[in-house]
Amino acid sequence: MILIGSSIIVVGVVSGVYKNFTLNSSSDNNRAISRANSSDSTIGGHVPGYPIGETSGTIIDPIDQVIDKDSVVDPEKYLREFNYGRVSMLPNGSTLREFTLVASDQLVKEVSPGVSYNVWTFNGTVPGPTIRATEGDVVRINFVNNGSMPHSLHTHGIHPAEMDGVFEMISPGGRFTYEFVAEPFGVFPYHCHMTPLEEHLAHGLYGVYIVDPKTPRSPADEMVMVMNGYDTDFDTENNFYTVNGIPYYYMHHPIQIEKDKPVRIYLVNMLEFDPLNNFHLHANMFNYYPSGTSLQPDELTDIVSLNQAERGIMEFKYKYPGKYMFHAHKTEFAEKGWMGTFFVNDKNTTRNSIQADNSSFYDTLNNSFDTNTPETSGARM
Amino acid sequence: MLSGNKNTMGGNHPTKKTPLILAFVPIVVLAGMIIFLLSPYGQSLINTGIPLPQVTIEKVEFHENQILAFIRNTGPLEIVVSQADVNDRIQSAAIEPDSTIPRLGDAKVMIPFPWIPGTPYEIGITTSDGTRFSKSVEAAALAPSPDANQALLFTSLGVYVGVIPVMIGLMWYPYIRRISIGKYSFFLSLTAGLLVFLGIDALLEVNEIVNQNLAAVFNGQALSVVVTISSFIVLLYTSERLTQRAIEKAVLNKNHSLASTSSIEELGKSEKSSTERQEGEIYNKSAKVSSSTQEVQIQLQRYQQLLKPLTISMMIAIGIGLHNFGEGLAIGAAMLLGEVALSTFLIVGFTLHNTTEGLAIVAPIAKSERSRRMMIRRLVTMGLIAGVPTIAGTWIGGFLYSPMAAVIFLSVGAGAIFQVVYSLISWISHHQKSGPSSSLSGHVIAGFITGLLIMYLTGLLV
Repeated sequence: MILIGSSIIVVGVVSGVYKNFTLNSSSDNNRAISRANSSDSTIGGHVPGYPIGETSGTIIDPIDQVIDKDSVVDPEKYLREFNYGRVSMLPNGSTLREFTLVASDQLVKEVSPGVSYNVWTFNGTVPGPTIRATEGDVVRINFVNNGSMPHSLHTHGIHPAEMDGVFEMISPGGRFTYEFVAEPFGVFPYHCHMTPLEEHLAHGLYGVYIVDPKTPRSPADEMVMVMNGYDTDFDTENNFYTVNGIPYYYMHHPIQIEKDKPVRIYLVNMLEFDPLNNFHLHANMFNYYPSGTSLQPDELTDIVSLNQAERGIMEFKYKYPGKYMFHAHKTEFAEKGWMGTFFVNDKNTTRNSIQADNSSFYDTLNNSFDTNTPETSGARM
Repeated sequence: MLSGNKNTMGGNHPTKKTPLILAFVPIVVLAGMIIFLLSPYGQSLINTGIPLPQVTIEKVEFHENQILAFIRNTGPLEIVVSQADVNDRIQSAAIEPDSTIPRLGDAKVMIPFPWIPGTPYEIGITTSDGTRFSKSVEAAALAPSPDANQALLFTSLGVYVGVIPVMIGLMWYPYIRRISIGKYSFFLSLTAGLLVFLGIDALLEVNEIVNQNLAAVFNGQALSVVVTISSFIVLLYTSERLTQRAIEKAVLNKNHSLASTSSIEELGKSEKSSTERQEGEIYNKSAKVSSSTQEVQIQLQRYQQLLKPLTISMMIAIGIGLHNFGEGLAIGAAMLLGEVALSTFLIVGFTLHNTTEGLAIVAPIAKSERSRRMMIRRLVTMGLIAGVPTIAGTWIGGFLYSPMAAVIFLSVGAGAIFQVVYSLISWISHHQKSGPSSSLSGHVIAGFITGLLIMYLTGLLV
């Protein structure tokens, strides 16, 4: 009896200590997250046919949560934002488009609800701003390195060797003006070319550069989509996959489009680590123009697979109203954030109510942008 | 001058209060040191490097349409859990009580998920800095819910693998009672072999639990060593106290009955008028006393012969009981964690394995002179002491599994078993000395190795 008693006491004391460790302060965390849809105590519910749970604790749900502040980018704004630069006329009659790109490697931003990551950015966002010019324009990019290590700007397209941003790195605090004629027409990525390249790209130093043909393409609802990922734990595998910077964003904020109205997407794959990425459109087919360098579509399809830095233009319109999904058909990527939805509105019916919910979100985002002066000065190009 | 002298005297010669105050001096200095280290000055001196978050997923449970992960913050910082995943695919989830977990705090992550029984899963959580921590489960199985049915299942399981085998093993009693001294030493050392194996087995089991389920911050291996050694020492002390007390009591009883007849009564009489008696009579008295002490010594030896094996058997039963409790914990936990499919084969394996435990209890007392009826009662009691804890173990393991508790119980069991082995070995060598051969006879060695081998081979079935 004494033996059993004493062993119970020993165990009791030790497990008592163990329990004390577990005493939990239910301190309020300052996570800048709010929920897009469901009520505060239900887990899930936005995936059809999926089990729903109930909780008294905190919901952690990147599929359904919105970042209120410190978002690495506002995907809604980024989607249709094309920067044409400060336009002036050169003596020879050609158009000069001047841009400012500020590289930084110090920002810590939320890349998924509740997950902060040290992003390296052009003008404070991942992806960087979309630069757009017309074939034959002179593009002048004032590059400022606001970071702590050398960076550069390397644009795809045709230009002289010294404008390629590969052999001349810009030191921290340094400046350089890249100048070249926009050619040929198409869609291109731009990115930093500092070694280790993988590191500089994986952290977010990239964006899209569009060159329009001299005769403009037919009018359409144009948007840009960059497929990327974040390796937040540095194991050379992506923890998140996104289109336009935030996982699942267009799941809770469907992209509003009009029925029968042409949609044109400039699609660029900037994913690191995984060799292949793809884009699959639901309930529709699209014309695909690889690299956007031809005016004749290559194929009519509902899926396109892209290697690193590969890109193209997609054109389609929806025949029926309603909500349609688009996502990577590499399902792993889809289920780690690379999925979204189009909401096809019929002109005769009212718009989806979801859009109205987001006004406060935009306000806070815009405010946070204004505080980052070096980046925003470049953002107004 | 005088008062000064007094003071120095007081300093050199400890009074009742000063040493205690002096003992607190280093503690006060230590406290000051810690306060300094925690202050901004100290922090700036020692804070180099970047502290990394660490999360341990201690347990994963599968419930209907839901997976539960029990996590603990085992790193140096407070953490915020930002998302959960199943097989590295992000899932909607919730965390109770809160997504912020203080250092060493714990939380429950709930993931609604239509899991499939028998399928392996990896459950992951990601902290606010983007670090992912995961735990794999070999095959998902519905977690037992603490209802009557499940309790009954665990009970019958405990009876099958714990109680019945031990009872079967006890049935070797009549055989071992009749064998020669040589064969008897064989069985005694065989028992020691069995037990050594069980003890080592328990420590290996502890190591496995520590590696798989216990957070590194708790330093499970060291805890196991501390508990095993403490349990060994405490049980050694208690068992010797118990034997001694039993002997004293028995001797006292015998003396009392002797006294009532003659000698002590006379002593009492002589004491009454002791002052007036002559020295010669005192001599007489002391002679009587010395003769009675001699008698007591002989009695004591006889009782030691009788009681020592009984104590050893009882200690073996208790040690095995503790071990079986740990074994029950492991079985229950394995069912809870979906690591084991309950098969007839498994039960057969455990039955074979544990039958030998009954033999271990029987061997030391088989040669002691006791009435058979009394012995059967004792044997059954000891069998129950050894076997029934298995049932309690399966309940606790299956319903409230905690890796920490498992480590502690298994280590207590290991310590208990090693204590028993110690007693057994000293008993064997004592036994051998009375015979012609040295303490390390061929019987003893053969028995010990056979014991180890039996346990190893029957253990393969489990």
